Amino acid sequence: MRSTVIDLLKAIRAPVAAIALTLAIGFVLVAAITDEPVRAYRDLLLANFDSLGNFALFLNRATPLTLIALGVIFSFRAGVFNVGGEGQLYAGAITATVIGVSLSGLPTVVLFPLVVVGGILAGALLGWIPAVLKVRLAVDEVVTTLMLNIIVLLCTSYLANQIIRDPTSYGAVSALLPQKIWLPAFPGVPGATSGIIVAALLSVVSWVVLFRTEWGAQLRASGTNLRFARTIGVPADRRIVMAMLLAGGFGGLAGTLYVLGIGHRFEQNFSPNYGLVGLTCALLARIHPIGALATALFYAMIINGAAYMQISTDVPRSLVNLLTGLLVLLMTARLNARARG
Amino acid sequence: MAYISFLASVLEQSSPIVLAALAAMITLRANILNVAVEGMMLVAAFTAIAVGNASGSAALALLCALVASILMSQLLALMTLRFSADFIVAGLGINLLAAGGSLFALEWFYRSPGGLRPITFPDLWHIPAGALSLVPPLGPALEGQSVIVVLAFLAVPACFVFLYKTPVGSYLRAAGEDEHAARSAGIDVARMKALALAISGLLAGLAGAQISMDKLHFFLPEMTSGRGFIGLAATLFSGGLPWTTAAAAVLFGFFGALGDRLQALAIPSQFVLMLPYLAAILGLTFARWRLHLRNRPARILEPAPASGSSDPQRSNF
Repeated sequence: MRSTVIDLLKAIRAPVAAIALTLAIGFVLVAAITDEPVRAYRDLLLANFDSLGNFALFLNRATPLTLIALGVIFSFRAGVFNVGGEGQLYAGAITATVIGVSLSGLPTVVLFPLVVVGGILAGALLGWIPAVLKVRLAVDEVVTTLMLNIIVLLCTSYLANQIIRDPTSYGAVSALLPQKIWLPAFPGVPGATSGIIVAALLSVVSWVVLFRTEWGAQLRASGTNLRFARTIGVPADRRIVMAMLLAGGFGGLAGTLYVLGIGHRFEQNFSPNYGLVGLTCALLARIHPIGALATALFYAMIINGAAYMQISTDVPRSLVNLLTGLLVLLMTARLNARARG
Repeated sequence: MAYISFLASVLEQSSPIVLAALAAMITLRANILNVAVEGMMLVAAFTAIAVGNASGSAALALLCALVASILMSQLLALMTLRFSADFIVAGLGINLLAAGGSLFALEWFYRSPGGLRPITFPDLWHIPAGALSLVPPLGPALEGQSVIVVLAFLAVPACFVFLYKTPVGSYLRAAGEDEHAARSAGIDVARMKALALAISGLLAGLAGAQISMDKLHFFLPEMTSGRGFIGLAATLFSGGLPWTTAAAAVLFGFFGALGDRLQALAIPSQFVLMLPYLAAILGLTFARWRLHLRNRPARILEPAPASGSSDPQRSNF
């Protein structure tokens, strides 16, 4: 029992140190800008819990981050550096919207699964392309996933502006999804999506799959030492492709749950870079599924908190973007080629 | 005369990509996959406009842009070489820091998160009109181009000479190809990698300055729009050889310029903007596929090739 506690402390020491150092540097910056640094920092960290409305926005923010982080974890554990979260998220969101809007006449029991499966498959397809290119031809997945992000963003921009645009609304947004397939609210918190429950459950499931099944062990073996994994008879290529399908699927699910639970329609630029922030969460959690839920909640807290901070003091909210970059730099100093093998 | 203006636009669009590609190439030769080129470019683009706005001097703006970009590269060097962070993760961190930092500066100093548009801005030196009209076909297209375009195309032979004809260049390549051997030959591998990153910062700085200073004279958040990654793709595409890297970069620039022309033809702009990225993926795939075909006999003899990690450039990540 005591050794588990020590192990846990050891595991979280580095990320906690990185977070603490980043917050300290941020505090110095804030103190330089505003006369009320304490007020600013209180809002950054705690304003999320001031009202039920703020808490709802906090849960809504954490949902896509958790799901994307889980996807990133599967790809990292298999040794693939999936930077394509943003593209997979958008692919899922747009596909779910197109299916939901165009087939809105179908009964709910048919339409809902169709929308969810469609969104997941669209994300999975985007994970599959770089995976196959990597496994078959050793094309660098970092570059392909980054390029695919931009391509998908442009595709969805075209669809949102020209094809599925709601002409009665301002901006590039689609028509509303039929209300019958909207996700129910989180119990007790009106305005919050229950998608966070799905995300939390999936993080537990992901932990079981990765660490308590043979399949997960094979996947991790392919990621830590490919040659060794092959030597002991693990079908590594298949595990890698499957991990990327899952990673893309998680991104697609994040997009689907976003349009079903939060946006209720597709909006261009709905994501404030959830892809990269989700990746950050996964890294900060040291590619551990349960940890990812915690870091996603932390990130949701400071992203929303930054907005409250900007309202109550004159500290720009983009401070958080700057701190995110800093945090990634600081915490990788300990990550040290762990994920990549 | 239409071809001249097209050629001019190809040159203009290619130059930041050529510079970004060379920036990625130099580090690739030192065995670093440099995803931070994009962030360094962004920092340079911002610094160029901010300093030009404050000082009214184009030369000072360019100089500060280069210094800022090199400083970013050295921050990456510090994190990766000194504190042994993963190059890709730290590189992405640099990108986030550049995007977040420039946005923060816009909001804090200039109170305009949308961008920085100085009313007047000092011009870079441009090749005067008529100076090269007697040198067909490239001459007329080069007229009116900024000094950075000229530097971009001079940087290609410069990189070639540096890598293959100078002792430092060969140490750098040795450090990238086999760290242990290089170390036992007395080469300071970490210093070579830091040097590669510094050169990369210089080239990326030129690329960023070209984007914001040449014609536009303003800075927008995310104005580098993935050109650093296209440069990286051009480098990977051509295996890190200077001339082919530049050729690939020009090809991507050509797609960009072609895209601008096609926009007039009622093709949705998004598909046109997509062309260089699609070209990058297809180009990389094609280059790998050819390599794959060439290596096939070896692969048949050795039934379990480590296809995921068979790329020597990646073995250290």
